[in-house]
Amino acid sequence: MPRIAGVDIPEKKKVLFSLQYIHGIGPKVAASILAKTGIDGDRRTHTLTPDELTSISKEIDERYVVEGALRRQVQQDIQRLKDIHCYRGERHRKGLPARGQRTRTNARTRKGRKKTVAGKKGVKG
Amino acid sequence: MSRSLKKGPFVDEKLYRKVEKSQSSARRTPIKTWRRACTVVPEFVGATFQVHNGRGFTEVFITEDMVGHKLGEFAPTRVFKGHTNKKEGIDGGTKAPA
Repeated sequence: MPRIAGVDIPEKKKVLFSLQYIHGIGPKVAASILAKTGIDGDRRTHTLTPDELTSISKEIDERYVVEGALRRQVQQDIQRLKDIHCYRGERHRKGLPARGQRTRTNARTRKGRKKTVAGKKGVKG
Repeated sequence: MSRSLKKGPFVDEKLYRKVEKSQSSARRTPIKTWRRACTVVPEFVGATFQVHNGRGFTEVFITEDMVGHKLGEFAPTRVFKGHTNKKEGIDGGTKAPA
């Protein structure tokens, strides 16, 4: 199995889709990498020649931030918000949505599983 | 939606002049302001503001990282002291028990 951008090992899928297994590469970036390197995205990944693989990894290395570096960058951005004690940073610290969404209901992605409070309006028992 | 680039950042002019004046003087006293919507520009770095939060003033020392944010982002307007504990009934609840 081919390796691109460090640990990622896409597989028998079409190149356009196997590239998207790399963190930081979605449909758009995958398509633009293939356009730039002149590789047909409908080909299966195992049919790529070593030369084509290197040209893809080179393209990624040069123009995109992916995987560990990207995760680190995102963490740093969040850490910066926390360090300057701004509103968004505090929301991150509290584990609540940071973009002005309502929290009276929903917001479960950030808040996690529901914690039922006994005696609260709308909850029976 | 983000602000049009054509307009540039919103910086309150009066406040900006005040900052300039205090930056040139040796003794820097905190600048009291109600302009929460004013963007922090690089010239503000090192200044101390007292930003109004609707009730009192929150002291904000401007560092380089804060550039691009609004003054109001550093002066929270809400105080959350946690939910009341129904079983105990204390914990500073403001609403009368149902």
